[in-house]
Amino acid sequence: MNKSFFIAIIAILLASNIGAEEGWSNSKTWFGDPDLQGTWTNASLTSLERPDSYETLAVTDQDAKIAIKVSNEFVESVDNPYEEGESPQAGDNVGGYNVAWMDPGTELFKIDGKYRSSILTYPEDGKLPRRYIRWGLEGYGIYKMFAVADHPEERTLGERCLVGFGSSGGPPMLNVLYNNHYQIVQSPGYVMILVEMNHDARIIRLESNHNPNNMKPWLGDSIGTWEGNTLVVRTKNHHPQQKFRAGIRHQILIMEEAEITEKFTRINEKEILYQFEVNDDKAYKDTWRGEMPLRAADGEIYEYACHEGNYAMANILAGARAEERK
Amino acid sequence: MSLIYCRTFIFLFLIGILNISASELPKGPNDKPDLNGVWQVLNTANYNLEAHSASAAMDLVVGPVVPIPHPSILALGAVGAVPAGLSVVEGGIIPYKKEALKKRNENKEDWLQLDPEIKCYLPGVPRATYMPYPFQIFHSEKAVFFAYEYAGAVRNIYLEDQGEAPIDSWMGQSWGYWEGNTFVVEASGFNDQTWFDRSGNFHSDKLQVTERFTLLNNHTMNYQAIIKDEEVFTKPWKINMTLYKRIGKDAQLQQFKCVEFVEELLYGKWRAK
Amino acid sequence: MAGFLYSEPYITAKTWFGDPDLQGTWTNSTLTTLERPSNFKTLIVSEQQAKTAALIASKGNDVYDNYLKEGETPKKGQDVGGYNTAWMDPGTKLLKIENEYRSSIIISPKNGKLPWDAKKRREYFSKDARRKFKRTDHPELRGVGERCVVGFGSSGGPPMMNVLYNNNYQIVQSQGYVLIMAEMIHDSRIIRLEGSHLPQLMDPWMGDSIGRWEGDTLVVETTNFNWQHVHRAALRHYFAISKNAKITELFKRISDTEILYRFRVDDPSLYKSAWVGEMPLRAQSDKIYEYACHEGNYAMANILAGARAEGK
Repeated sequence: MNKSFFIAIIAILLASNIGAEEGWSNSKTWFGDPDLQGTWTNASLTSLERPDSYETLAVTDQDAKIAIKVSNEFVESVDNPYEEGESPQAGDNVGGYNVAWMDPGTELFKIDGKYRSSILTYPEDGKLPRRYIRWGLEGYGIYKMFAVADHPEERTLGERCLVGFGSSGGPPMLNVLYNNHYQIVQSPGYVMILVEMNHDARIIRLESNHNPNNMKPWLGDSIGTWEGNTLVVRTKNHHPQQKFRAGIRHQILIMEEAEITEKFTRINEKEILYQFEVNDDKAYKDTWRGEMPLRAADGEIYEYACHEGNYAMANILAGARAEERK
Repeated sequence: MSLIYCRTFIFLFLIGILNISASELPKGPNDKPDLNGVWQVLNTANYNLEAHSASAAMDLVVGPVVPIPHPSILALGAVGAVPAGLSVVEGGIIPYKKEALKKRNENKEDWLQLDPEIKCYLPGVPRATYMPYPFQIFHSEKAVFFAYEYAGAVRNIYLEDQGEAPIDSWMGQSWGYWEGNTFVVEASGFNDQTWFDRSGNFHSDKLQVTERFTLLNNHTMNYQAIIKDEEVFTKPWKINMTLYKRIGKDAQLQQFKCVEFVEELLYGKWRAK
Repeated sequence: MAGFLYSEPYITAKTWFGDPDLQGTWTNSTLTTLERPSNFKTLIVSEQQAKTAALIASKGNDVYDNYLKEGETPKKGQDVGGYNTAWMDPGTKLLKIENEYRSSIIISPKNGKLPWDAKKRREYFSKDARRKFKRTDHPELRGVGERCVVGFGSSGGPPMMNVLYNNNYQIVQSQGYVLIMAEMIHDSRIIRLEGSHLPQLMDPWMGDSIGRWEGDTLVVETTNFNWQHVHRAALRHYFAISKNAKITELFKRISDTEILYRFRVDDPSLYKSAWVGEMPLRAQSDKIYEYACHEGNYAMANILAGARAEGK
């Protein structure tokens, strides 16, 4: 055996650890696939798009500290909107969840030791390359979701308890106000990602083909392959009612024909690097890409029985009907 | 002496055969039988765990001659009718307390209004196992996870006892362990909202279920559930049935997120005119 | 019920798994009726009597098919008629067992008549919820044939009786089962060998049958009869089977082209004693057509609608 052979071997070994931290070597499942299993969270203060207060993707520790301070102030205001003894006036917003119910993240996330100002890595300005005409066309439907309560089908996906709001279940899987947990279980030929909201099991078929185009399941149709230690997942045929995905900190459109690629690479025992690329020519002028870490979560995931406790939908509609009768 | 050798030989031979049979079970993680796959029952337990004749509908009203389907089901014709089935309950009958049996019968009378399945609510345990939809088991060395096609229900079976559930839930809290080749699951922490079938068989929030999954070969699994609920039943009772593995190109868990299919049912009366 | 005794024992071939082979397509059509007509005094009748019966039947068919002269049409209010005899299969001669013509299917009681217990019969029928209606009031009150639920006249049995048409049966055997497919109404009786009966609360149409082999004879026991299937009415016979009945049937192949079929009805809710009948099932070379009764059932809607139109 000659020198070139050994160099080739070393190169292959190095390549298989791309993205992995120094000293980390991927454990394998019992059947030999790289192990991504566990319970993970993507909660963080970093939003999809870069806020205007940041100029670069990587930001300083000082910037990160400021982000925490701002977040804490906001949280304080949510939990304490009134002085002691004060109560809402008639017509005031009665409020919603206390912060105890929320999981918005406690700091900006870090990749390669650097805090990030946005999940988006491309376009480089950290902004979605929207085709505003598409947003215009979808605008009335989006408006009705929040402002009109004529029919349940016109309300948001979260209110309907169909899938988690804000693309929590993806793809791409984005961090939202709460329930940012995922459980990954692998078995031969499959990777299953349980999305906490709405207890949705994304079943990724390995080395498979997409189903026919007339089958458009919620969360799209996903197939996967391993490239070294990276799980590459391709999703298409998105559900036609799952176009508009809104969280407090981001609003995106994913059209039925979009093609989304996700990559999952375990970079150490407690982190998976989650990267995605969205190709959606109808809604965007360009590809957009993002990345974030999935961090190992403490504890187990609670049941998210949204529909079973969905008093809101009936009340929203009934309330609107009561207003009409006035 | 030769008789002893003969008997010993036969004994060892039989042991050998049994060992060969056990080793034919597909192996999963930690050398345990491999529970992975898409599974489904082929019985009518979801209509009624107890023996039942075929009938015109789950909800019958008084007819001019014989009971007839409720007006809400009538248009379905044979699609809304009920097939016959034998009991899956050991001993045939569920051992209700007297008052509880009355409630079961009341449930049955008001099936259309009360069965949580109609509203696409989570099915609970063990009903999730024998819904007329498949489920997929993801069995790894780190987890055993059930993804059910019906309503996208899920169960993560913890591999260590987590103690008492912190809160009641529809699907309960489950932990599992191996007894030989049988995967045993202890489930508790249920609310009282689910039914065992469409015939009104129910439980309280004191329900505890012990399930036993025993792989028989590469294609079938024996499923037993022992149901304990001192508030409702006079004693624990068992159900037994077979799970069949779906094979072939179409053995793929599909999506049945029925919440959107019941929006008209649940909210239609509040639509704008 | 006594087993079969025959002068010429037949060695039944075996199925691939070793059970006696009853498989094939069979017919029970015959001129012989369930009960003995009054013109016959004995069970066994002569060749001459048999010839006469065949002739009368044949002439009867002619008359039936040609009751209108050339160019004549039915008068208003006159029966418009039904099937031509081309559609019928009433048999062409009396049945023969051991080379002897029989005047009735019933062999016990000896008089060839059903041993009704009038009091018990009245009592049983008085509890039938349907009695308070007129027969054109509701679909459930019409005959099982008009409802297309099972073949009329006990064609599918048990006991399996010959009727005006579609008297064909196909028997297929597999390990642990004997299947008898009755042409009317494409009904599969699945007999479970060495099985146990269903719980009492389950009452399938045609009852619940279990079977066992005694030598080369298939012995079938049926219970759990459906309460709606009590009346078994055809042109040439009427009997009733209560939900409490037990019927035992014997099937034995007696030649390449015949199975001897014997049955015993034990039904103390309606009869003074058990009654026994027998007939041959004769091999058919034809295949059985589909009998899609319900799919073409214009009659039921028209019967009810007609009654409504008449203001009934």
